[in-house]
Amino acid sequence: MIREHGYTHWEGRLVERRFSWWPITRLSLKLIFKKKYFRPTYALAFLPAFFFVVGLYISERMEDFRFMVRGARPEFLAVNPNFFKNYLAGDFLLFLLIGLMTFCAGLVADDLRHNALPLYFSRPLQKKDYLVGKAAVIAFLVLTLTAVPGLIFIIIKMLFAGSFAFLKAYPWLPLSILVYSFFLTAFFCLYTILLSTLSRNSRYVAVMIFAIYIFSDLLFGFLYAWFKNPYLSLFSIKINLQQVAAFVFRQKPLQPVSWFWSFLILVSFMVLASQLVVRKIKAVEVIR
Amino acid sequence: MSLAVVTEHLSRWYGNVLGLSDVSLEIGPGITGLLGPNGAGKSTLLKLITGQIRPSLGRVTINGQPVTGRPELFFNIGYCPEQDAFFEGMTGFQFLYWMLRLHHFLAERAGLEAEKALRLVDLYDDRNRPIKSYSRGMRQRLKIAQAIAHDPEIMVLDEPLNGLDPLGKRKIIRLIRDYGREGRLVIVSSHVLPEIEALTRKIILIHQGKVFAQGDIHEIRDLIDRHPHVVSIRTPASRVLAAALIQQPFVVKAYFGDDEESLLVETKNRDQFFRFLLEMAAVKGIKLEEITSPDDNLQAVFDYLVGKG
Repeated sequence: MIREHGYTHWEGRLVERRFSWWPITRLSLKLIFKKKYFRPTYALAFLPAFFFVVGLYISERMEDFRFMVRGARPEFLAVNPNFFKNYLAGDFLLFLLIGLMTFCAGLVADDLRHNALPLYFSRPLQKKDYLVGKAAVIAFLVLTLTAVPGLIFIIIKMLFAGSFAFLKAYPWLPLSILVYSFFLTAFFCLYTILLSTLSRNSRYVAVMIFAIYIFSDLLFGFLYAWFKNPYLSLFSIKINLQQVAAFVFRQKPLQPVSWFWSFLILVSFMVLASQLVVRKIKAVEVIR
Repeated sequence: MSLAVVTEHLSRWYGNVLGLSDVSLEIGPGITGLLGPNGAGKSTLLKLITGQIRPSLGRVTINGQPVTGRPELFFNIGYCPEQDAFFEGMTGFQFLYWMLRLHHFLAERAGLEAEKALRLVDLYDDRNRPIKSYSRGMRQRLKIAQAIAHDPEIMVLDEPLNGLDPLGKRKIIRLIRDYGREGRLVIVSSHVLPEIEALTRKIILIHQGKVFAQGDIHEIRDLIDRHPHVVSIRTPASRVLAAALIQQPFVVKAYFGDDEESLLVETKNRDQFFRFLLEMAAVKGIKLEEITSPDDNLQAVFDYLVGKG
């Protein structure tokens, strides 16, 4: 029997796509949206935004609500860059964290659990496509809870005021919102993905996401009570983020420590996390 | 350009454990069987070929291009990993659809190709069932489907027949043989000799991380057949059977097991031995309760071939 081995059969018609990571993002989002409690929890994460909108309204109708805000400090309802800083770097971050731990903990952990990495990497994808695809999911969640409401607040403020005076007074504010939101997104992308590569069990990852964030803040509180040194605030993720936010929104920092140290620590963490993540993804091998 | 997978002095260590040592191969179109006992290094070789892991030494090229750092090569490569790799909550169709989307297929086309692949592996009727409800054989067929759905010219299938029922096995063997006949390059690994025999004549024997032999399966089979095989027979007529067997030239030794009913026979020619055994059962009416081969596994054969057995 003579076999013609030179012949090749090929009927496939492929379309080159510029963003190879996009199907990974879509697939991950699809899986997240299918989760039982995603919609109510995601809606709950907008609760602080809702209260801030109410605050915006009250601040514009102070006369009507005087009976409600009697005794409150005047800066409490003042709409200025600090108002936006408080939204983006205040306790609202806890809501964001709950969203991340509930829905993003399994982004890589579930792939590890299902041994799915060979499926991704035997396709025309690079490791960076995989990681960008996963990070884009976190970016979607974080940006819809930070940049989008932040910019909408400005629009609502102008609508309630009926003028552009606010934007004229702070023309740099939209840029500050975007810069800080993207910084926050980059940090939480790497933070979540790093922790997600550390275990095949997404529940452990979820606990780690929450615990490390809270523990870093508790550690600062504990050490500060002992040593009274403000530089110990550099241990706290929350305070580091707030210090950077204070700089971006041109506000006085909470701690008497230069914002740059906090920035440096967060950026160093991000660089280290990206290196570790690439290593962890590479190291997925089965020894036989 | 003709299809070719070339490995040059390929070695891979896992810490102090040697996974693969100095493997140089040139694999062309058609089906090539990769045969070796468990832990021989077959999966390591296939992972290196598909760029899943990087070699400690040496290199792999596919159609003349190094496999690492060239994701575009995977438009034309299908890989079926040995272990299960699924998103359990998805249906079979959804899984294949998304795998095709990762191959840059547009939505409509991905749907069509997914259905086509599901038909090829007989899973079309179960396409809308969640993967977690699939049997082992169905999962195996789905794994094969994801490797062939994008119609690749190069297929790397790691133990594709594992867990399949005889009918499913036959179907998949036929499918793989069709791909080989079309001139595609198919590498199939297995630790079961008859499976590889059913697929191809071209085989590579791999043992302890090294290529032990390479060539036509019949030459290897002859080599293997020179190894005396032990067959265990359970029969109430063990003494009658032993008396008849010991007179045959192909029987080296016959001895009784722990009880009166089990007989162990060492033979140089399995085919002749089994023919004779069936004849005894049919003509003399000897009742055979159980026939097993204690050393009928590749490890024993390989030990024999490397002089350990």
